[in-house]
Amino acid sequence: MKLTTVEGMTSEIFVPVTPAPVFNELKKPLSECKVAFITAGGIHKKDQTPFNTSGDFSYRVIPFDTPSDQLMVTHGGFDNSDINKDVNAMFPIDRLHELVDAGFIGSLPEETYTFMGGGGNVEKFKNETGPEIARKLKEQGVDVVLCTGGCGTCHRSATIVTRCCEEAGMSCCVIAALPPIARQQGAPRITAPHVPIGSNAGEPNNVEMQTAIVKESLEWVRDCPSYNQIKVLPYEYSHNV
Amino acid sequence: MSINKETMLQHLKDPAVICCRKEKGKVIGPEDLEDPAIFDDMIESGLLELSSEGLTIEQVVGCTLMQDTEALTPLTKDLLNKVNPVEGPAPKAEAPVETFAPVVSQSVKSDGSIHIEIGKAEKIENLKFDIPVIAGAAAAAETAAPSGQKHVMRTLIKKHIKITDAEIGTETSIKDGKITIDKNIIEKALKEDELCVKMELDVIHPDERHQYTNTIMDVVPIATKVEGEHLGSGVTKVADGVVFMLTGTDEDGTQVHEFGSSEGYLDEKMYFGHPGCADENDIIIRCNTTVKRLTGMTRPGPFAAHKCQDYVIQAVRDELKKYDGEVVREEVCEDVRREGNPRVVLVKEIMGQGAMHDNVLCPTEPCGVQGGQKNVDCGNVPIMLTPNQVRDGSIHALTCIGPATKEMTRHYIREPLVEGLAADEELDLIGVVCVGSPQVNDEKMWVSERLGYLLETLDIDGCIITTEGFGNNHIDFIQHIGQAGSRGIPVVGVSFCAYQGQLVVGNKYADAMVEENMDAGGFENDVAGCSCVTPEVAARAIQMLKNKMAGVKINPAPKKWNNDVINENNKLLGLPETVLLDNGTLH
Repeated sequence: MKLTTVEGMTSEIFVPVTPAPVFNELKKPLSECKVAFITAGGIHKKDQTPFNTSGDFSYRVIPFDTPSDQLMVTHGGFDNSDINKDVNAMFPIDRLHELVDAGFIGSLPEETYTFMGGGGNVEKFKNETGPEIARKLKEQGVDVVLCTGGCGTCHRSATIVTRCCEEAGMSCCVIAALPPIARQQGAPRITAPHVPIGSNAGEPNNVEMQTAIVKESLEWVRDCPSYNQIKVLPYEYSHNV
Repeated sequence: MSINKETMLQHLKDPAVICCRKEKGKVIGPEDLEDPAIFDDMIESGLLELSSEGLTIEQVVGCTLMQDTEALTPLTKDLLNKVNPVEGPAPKAEAPVETFAPVVSQSVKSDGSIHIEIGKAEKIENLKFDIPVIAGAAAAAETAAPSGQKHVMRTLIKKHIKITDAEIGTETSIKDGKITIDKNIIEKALKEDELCVKMELDVIHPDERHQYTNTIMDVVPIATKVEGEHLGSGVTKVADGVVFMLTGTDEDGTQVHEFGSSEGYLDEKMYFGHPGCADENDIIIRCNTTVKRLTGMTRPGPFAAHKCQDYVIQAVRDELKKYDGEVVREEVCEDVRREGNPRVVLVKEIMGQGAMHDNVLCPTEPCGVQGGQKNVDCGNVPIMLTPNQVRDGSIHALTCIGPATKEMTRHYIREPLVEGLAADEELDLIGVVCVGSPQVNDEKMWVSERLGYLLETLDIDGCIITTEGFGNNHIDFIQHIGQAGSRGIPVVGVSFCAYQGQLVVGNKYADAMVEENMDAGGFENDVAGCSCVTPEVAARAIQMLKNKMAGVKINPAPKKWNNDVINENNKLLGLPETVLLDNGTLH
């Protein structure tokens, strides 16, 4: 049987281009660094306007002294039950305070910024939201930025904003549940625990695991030899949804 | 990334660029050179700048570096000890045809194998080999095999029964084309699952579309088996002119199923006529549900709503079984083998991340819930369905993702790619593989590997891979395309990508891709069923697959979503223009 063919058809979808490298070596010990944590996972304060779940390039300002029980998630891209149990599963704010108390890191900035990266508008995040978040962090004297994505396109938005922070002179790492996206989109550094999307920073209420993921991600900011390198973290969690 | 010898031979006339830092004294081989196939990307992203002084690969192989050279440096004369002489322009242009036409003799041997002897060819001389072939094939080769012979394995008859009205009343019945549903059924339906705490039923006629609706979770046909034990064969009755529409919020009023919600005026929030949606003239029986607070974005909450609605639909199905109404259309569906035609499969990547990203497979009744298994519980592994099973409602969608890009239950019972491939007399559609998209990256890779080996053992000549939604499932999608492509199986990918959903990962096998987008800005525009597999999308995908299988080139995609490209393809195939919906979405 002969196949009918048609000359001249064009593929309709392009595959992404990995952007140019961006990388700042961390030049001081972690114990002297001001560390910020941003997230694309849709975390906000309960009294703030929720994100538009089909796409939203706005961001929320989160003072670092916000009690974790005042935070919540608005995100349509994954099962929310883990974050409903413990917001630290996406945004480990309690762990960061503990790491300051322990002297592992120097300090936290006064405030940080969160967004909902699902279906994120690439140009808006690249040219507006990302540079603005980076500038505000830089102005607070931040040295190191950690970032979690949530869903797939969150990882894209997370990586775009993280790159903006690196471009502004900070040393940054994406904690990725979906490392292939962080890699392809050009994250400066990547750590990859074996976790589902929705609990990107570790199992809910598992303080030990969350602490280890944050600590080892910070160490990767210090030790990562060059741009876009992945460190797989030996922590495994899967939830029975 | 360095290249191998095989790739190098394809790119002898392309620029030679060092792939990573090499030291003085290195003798250049393929392992030192960057892959020319990715130069365009690298130039665009500023990683690479080609030099007009640059040498070609054939000019540098075997030469020695005279100084340390950094990654992505185009090789020039001054960096090397010598430059290989190259004879004239490209050999293809000037070489006499005979050089490439080996003298080949072929004979069929007594054991059924074919003996081939190549007398002389460029760089290959006196090569002989025997190719074993299955008994009988040799003879067939001489008489031109009867190709495409159709064997029917299974027949399904879908009888579309005319329905002219519906109302919520005090008994459940179908009389004279009118469906009546007993309003007291709600109480019993809610007993199906305690997470669904409230249900309202009403009827929306075609002239009553401009009214508020909560987010559209699903559109479900009323169909029931009247003959045949399983879905896919026997006789199924389908109510014509009416569908169920499931909507819902949680107790706090938060819309259920959100990656974008389609709540709003129904006439603006559903793409009427698309495969997953109600048609313009359909009567809609709306089943509006309320689930327990905070369960809307977990797996059990939305499922409870689907389960309770299914209880109501089952009562109507039971009436439809008994009802002898006017048959407006009798659809004969066949599972066939067309021996000798290219063997193809359709791979449908469905959601499997938990929450509402789930599907019920192979329920007892068409488009039902009871009796089926959820693909998440099955580990999201590839599951083979026959085209008839899909067309008999074997997939009940629990999916949220985006309203515009999800495939609802009605989509599957009339999937244009299944219809198109099954009807195509040039192809042999082996089956439809449903594969879930897990939420853990490692599991995605594991599942995709299973799919790869399945495709390999099916010994297919080509496949089309689709995915609903966008984002993390594109990791699986691209991985699946790679699984097929790396095994030499021609593959076409179909998805919504456009602007908002542009691919987050890619590989070189994703070179024949079909776009589902129908939004003006390329966004998930919250209009249920807007950007999905339509008959036009299916036609382009099938044609691309045939081109690829036949070795007809498909031009590479421009580096930016552009609807004109899609319409150029439409034009080539005589399809109507893809007109984009502009509802002002920008987010």
